[in-house]
Amino acid sequence: MNAWLVAPIAIPLVTLVLCMLWRRNPPLVAALSVLGAAALTVVGLALVGKVADGAILAGQMGGWQAPYGISLVIDRLAAAMVAITGVIGLATVVYGVSRPGDPAVGRDFHLFVQGLLTGVCGAFITGDVFNLYVWFEVLLIASFALMVLGGGARRLSGTVVYVFLNLLATLLFLLAAGLLYGATGTLNMAELAVHAAAGEVPAGGIVAVVLMLLAFSIKAALFPVFGWLPASYHVAWTPVSALFAGLLTKVGVYALIRIVTLVWPQAGLAHEVLLWVACFTMLVGVLGAAAQTEVRRILSFHIVSQVGYMVLGLALATPLALAGAVFYLIHHIVVKANLFFIGGLAARIAGSERLAAMGGLYAHAPWLAILFAIPALSLAGIPPLSGFWAKFVLVKASLDTGAWIAAAVALITGVFTLLSMSKIWNEAFLKAHPQGEGALRRATGSAPAYAAVAVLAAITVAIGLAAGPVMAYAVAAAAQLADPSAYAGAVFAAGGR
Amino acid sequence: MSLALIVILPFLGAMLPALMIRAGRNACALATGTATLLAFALLLVHAPAVVLRGEVVQAGWQWLPGLGLNVNFFLDGLGFLFATLILGIGLLIIIYARFYLAKEDPMGSFYSYLLLFQGAMVGIVLSDNILLLLVFWELTSLSSFLLIGYWKHLPEGRQGARMALTVTGAGGLAMIAGMLLLGHIAGSYDLSVILQHGEAIRESELYLPALVLILAGCFTKSAQFPFHFWLPHAMAAPTPVSAYLHSATMVKAGLFLMARMWPVLAGTEAWFYLVATAGLLTMVIGAFIALFKDDLKGLLAYSTVSHLGLVTMLFGFGTPMAAVAGVFHIINHATFKAALFMNAGIVDHEAGTRDIRRLGGLVFLMPISATLATLAAASMAGLPLLNGFLSKEMMLHEAAHTAWAGQGWLVPLLATVGALFSVAYSFRYILHVYFGRRRDDYPHPPHDPPAGMWLPPALLVVLVVLIGLFPETMAGTLVRATAAAVIGGPVPDFHLSIWHGFTPALGMSAVAVAVGLLLILSYPRVRALWQAGPHPEAKAMFDATLGGALALAQRFTHGLHNGSLQRYLAFAVAAMVLAGFVAFSGAPHEAGTRALLPMQPVAVVAWVLLLGGCMLTVVFFRKRLLSVLVVGTVGLIVCVAFIYLSAPDLALTQISVEVTTVILILLALYFLPKESPVSSTVRAQPLRHLRDALLALAAGGGMAAVSWAMMTRDGVSLSDYYLENSVSGGGGTNVVNVILVDFRGFDTFGEIIVLGIAALAIFALLDGALHGRVGRRLSAWTPDLPVSVDRHPIIMVVATRVMLPLALLVGAYIFLRGHNQPGGGFIAALVVSIALIMQYMASGFAWAAQRVRVKYHAMIGGGVLVAVATGVGAMVLDRPFLTSAFTHVHLPVVGEFELASAMAFDAGVFLTVVGAVMLALANLSRMGRWTAHRPVNKMAMDVDPSAAPYREHH
Repeated sequence: MNAWLVAPIAIPLVTLVLCMLWRRNPPLVAALSVLGAAALTVVGLALVGKVADGAILAGQMGGWQAPYGISLVIDRLAAAMVAITGVIGLATVVYGVSRPGDPAVGRDFHLFVQGLLTGVCGAFITGDVFNLYVWFEVLLIASFALMVLGGGARRLSGTVVYVFLNLLATLLFLLAAGLLYGATGTLNMAELAVHAAAGEVPAGGIVAVVLMLLAFSIKAALFPVFGWLPASYHVAWTPVSALFAGLLTKVGVYALIRIVTLVWPQAGLAHEVLLWVACFTMLVGVLGAAAQTEVRRILSFHIVSQVGYMVLGLALATPLALAGAVFYLIHHIVVKANLFFIGGLAARIAGSERLAAMGGLYAHAPWLAILFAIPALSLAGIPPLSGFWAKFVLVKASLDTGAWIAAAVALITGVFTLLSMSKIWNEAFLKAHPQGEGALRRATGSAPAYAAVAVLAAITVAIGLAAGPVMAYAVAAAAQLADPSAYAGAVFAAGGR
Repeated sequence: MSLALIVILPFLGAMLPALMIRAGRNACALATGTATLLAFALLLVHAPAVVLRGEVVQAGWQWLPGLGLNVNFFLDGLGFLFATLILGIGLLIIIYARFYLAKEDPMGSFYSYLLLFQGAMVGIVLSDNILLLLVFWELTSLSSFLLIGYWKHLPEGRQGARMALTVTGAGGLAMIAGMLLLGHIAGSYDLSVILQHGEAIRESELYLPALVLILAGCFTKSAQFPFHFWLPHAMAAPTPVSAYLHSATMVKAGLFLMARMWPVLAGTEAWFYLVATAGLLTMVIGAFIALFKDDLKGLLAYSTVSHLGLVTMLFGFGTPMAAVAGVFHIINHATFKAALFMNAGIVDHEAGTRDIRRLGGLVFLMPISATLATLAAASMAGLPLLNGFLSKEMMLHEAAHTAWAGQGWLVPLLATVGALFSVAYSFRYILHVYFGRRRDDYPHPPHDPPAGMWLPPALLVVLVVLIGLFPETMAGTLVRATAAAVIGGPVPDFHLSIWHGFTPALGMSAVAVAVGLLLILSYPRVRALWQAGPHPEAKAMFDATLGGALALAQRFTHGLHNGSLQRYLAFAVAAMVLAGFVAFSGAPHEAGTRALLPMQPVAVVAWVLLLGGCMLTVVFFRKRLLSVLVVGTVGLIVCVAFIYLSAPDLALTQISVEVTTVILILLALYFLPKESPVSSTVRAQPLRHLRDALLALAAGGGMAAVSWAMMTRDGVSLSDYYLENSVSGGGGTNVVNVILVDFRGFDTFGEIIVLGIAALAIFALLDGALHGRVGRRLSAWTPDLPVSVDRHPIIMVVATRVMLPLALLVGAYIFLRGHNQPGGGFIAALVVSIALIMQYMASGFAWAAQRVRVKYHAMIGGGVLVAVATGVGAMVLDRPFLTSAFTHVHLPVVGEFELASAMAFDAGVFLTVVGAVMLALANLSRMGRWTAHRPVNKMAMDVDPSAAPYREHH
């Protein structure tokens, strides 16, 4: 039981240490990293299997009973997140193998990716607010290093924005955690849920929770505090930005979902606010994307807008809406990371990621075009790909609850997303390269990158075609989220001294 | 089963062309045709049951039962008609395209897209589940995007494709919402169920929104006014695509859906006014514009728009007989229009242009094409003995009996006007292309195309004539079967025939033909009149709307997101203030109950110093060194506060962290400009500074208020538990340390990972900086501060050497006592690190580096591994991760002491922290070497005190 709980953190961590100890041997580092990520994927999938029947794995670190020690909890949502983290981590390190470039950069890349995965997994499975803060720190510090990897003035200036806003959010989180403990006397999420259910959270505790949610909102890049994301994601090395695009904001979304469902399982004022935030986030993100002319800048703004959908699901708070949010989370991580990967490959071949300076990719690299089309259409919500079901469920949930505006915004955002994707398609793939065929380069040694991209695309198609089982899992996960008492029960039943 | 196969076959077939193209163009076309033919054959197998006996064939599986999405197919008369059009005309198009496409066009992908589209279309018309229908609906938008943009080199193709995708995609999304509402009302997404609930749906309050949203999907797809503008721009596609998608099939998907939903949605006022009006307007406007189009395909495109409007109007009337007429016209239009599109393609292919102004007199050069075109266009004009005449007559008949808002004359008049323009442009097609003066300036010498190109349209023209002559025999059964499905009830008694006697419709027809002919005979004058009027260009409007939205988006985005860090921070802080305030005022609260403590002078002094330190930081923030010092004061006061509040552990930690950090910052500052650049002044941007000041005050004030609220209340805490269990459970009397390494050891575990990664990050950054461009810049850089002559002063060297063992001893002491007295691994590590760093500072990097045997990386890794091992050790003993254990040991000389597993964990902390701090600091000081421009010292000092005097004598 306990080994399963610790494994998602321990695997990337030990991989990180081993990579560090053998850091003078870059090929070995890469191999270890791939192996570690693969192991994490396997463990994640196994965890999904273990919790699929509704069991909630919980354990106390140090063996102290809740709420005195630190609890780790894996429910359906957490297990799915760990699994998907493994998948994206694996894709990222495999992609990273394809073009070592500067060997030192390649080596450090693997170190910090493993560090990031440690933090992300920790954040997904912890059941303690302050411990969540610690894992946020872990992933943040690793992300700082990753973002600036490879150096250069452009990268540094983007990183400065990233660091400042994220530090601010982290600081706010810390303040909020302090306030929460001061007001409620607990940091344990399960106990917090018990307090909340009994209506025993004092005003100070509410303030603390709200500030904490704001901190998560900054991390999740919600309106109006999303500015750091599009200002920084496009400067990082391709696999790094893909990893970030896939996972980082989603950790914020996950934390939002976790805390909101634990504290306010029923819809209330907070949900109302979140609903508006979600609508604005969707719209502002997609409008921002419309104004961009570089592949990764476009994609970055779409992250913002897509996060809006997930928060919409959270805000509507019906079982179906929550299931939609969970489904969206899973689908989006795969699709978004893949689009960044493909954007990187496209830029490598076309020699630029400015749309005006790109072209001819359809004729030159037809497979890349097909691989692009899959996640791009999925992102826009075209059936029968995964994104369609995600959007569909959320629109349905909005209409069911009479949230007409949200449904309209979700649909309009879909149109604009489609426009954006067709813009990239027309400019980068269809039109001739402005400097002629000769300007297109061969992407040598990118077989691993293609493999990573193809597998992620296959997953997107698979989620779309086998939407039934995935949706069933999401619905079950949402049912767990809607019932915090089961979560608390599992944590307190886990025993300890 | 075979129903699903009809849908699946084109999709499966879509893979064939891409593979078969290697075997040649004929093989490729053959494979494509075979797939379609098979599907067509499968469809025809059902013809007797569906068309003759009126049965409904069904097949289905579950896909997402939770959402109500089932893969259910059903085939009734309506589905059969459309599937016949799609597959039958599809077959002809495949043959035609084989000869139409040029050698350099990639035929494989063309056929693949075509089959994808075909599959999606068949899917739409056979779906028995509206969600499934939506899936196929979106797929048609997408495959048509690929087909319109097929000629990649044409920018208008790409733009047209994108416009079509935008408009139909947007409509499709609206339709999703509409369908969801419909399913919500009916309680099922299965069409066969929905069709049973027409009454309930029409009475629901959600009927109107559902209707509007579904119609938005239909109107965009079928290019109804005001969404008609995308269709002409989609004509940049190769002609087979235009013929197939934009005349025979895709644009009829909207009509199909209106027909499909007719029993459920039609019959209300809203339906009549929305659908009939849109149809009527579209019919007239489309026909009018078509008359003045010089591009053959443009003419046909607007004509298509107009005819689609005609059918829409008929469905909009909501009467069974109008529905019959609509169904009949769908058949007729598909035949003559597809033939005409193929004909336009032939002209373009053979004469090298589609511009009517450059054509004329082709009848002698291309007699076959001319004959076919004349017959098809005459049918389009609605001349007797051809099929277009019959359905047009029926339309006029229905129009003559329809009143719009009580005005009986309006609909018949407009219908006649529409028919008149239709006559005019049809004749323009015949006269201005094939007749008139023979020219000799064609881009290509024209002649009739190969049989493969004229046979498919010829087949359609044969149908045009046959249906026109023997309507009841040729189409009666099919029209009845289809109409039955559309109406969903008894079909009115009718007989398709050429002659109905002298009816008002015949009169309207006669007027239309006469005036239409007049118009075309005096075309130059009409054209001049038209030229003088305004020409609202829909594409320009669309572009302007889109451009305007884009500009708005840009402005809005820029307002939120202009790359300025200050603005993002302002947003974030403002959000914090707002969120905190709303949450606080929204929750019930009373004044705190705790009694306030008297103000102690020490506290007041500390408070004033703290405040002063913060203010000075703001004042001196540009002078970096000074700021560091002032911030240092703040740290020291915090440390004093900890002591004052009896928290020695925290004080110790704070002071050692403070020292280490200041050293780190000072080392870094050495390489940086000594003052921050002036980017803005209060004078230049007073408002921004005011905003920032207010935000800062609000945020600080808010924090203070919340802290005040917190401290004036009695809170619950876990402290009692920790105090009680620290000794018995954790084996230590220093509760703080027990919390750090035991109760919440897992946090500490995470924190050492943070520290380790931070050190690695610093190392990676600096290591990277020393290579490449930054490295070159660094080595070219001269320090901007005066450098001491004596880099390694003897007193410092001696003092640090003496202090080293002492400091190490203190470190060991602090470490060992940690579990029971103030101290612990973290503080010990910092003390040791400071002692070590002093060696670097005293004798230089090179000297120190030579003497370091341990690799800091290994130390960090080792530390983390030790911590992991401690945790895993507990798990081996079947305890949770990091569970501690302790025991008391008695050694002869030392006496009794305690051994705790937490100590091993603390050792891991110690190793990681020393490694991390040293790695960071050592590498910062290594950078100094690059900029020193002086030889590296091998000795501890620059001068050898023992040797120097002798050297001076020489």
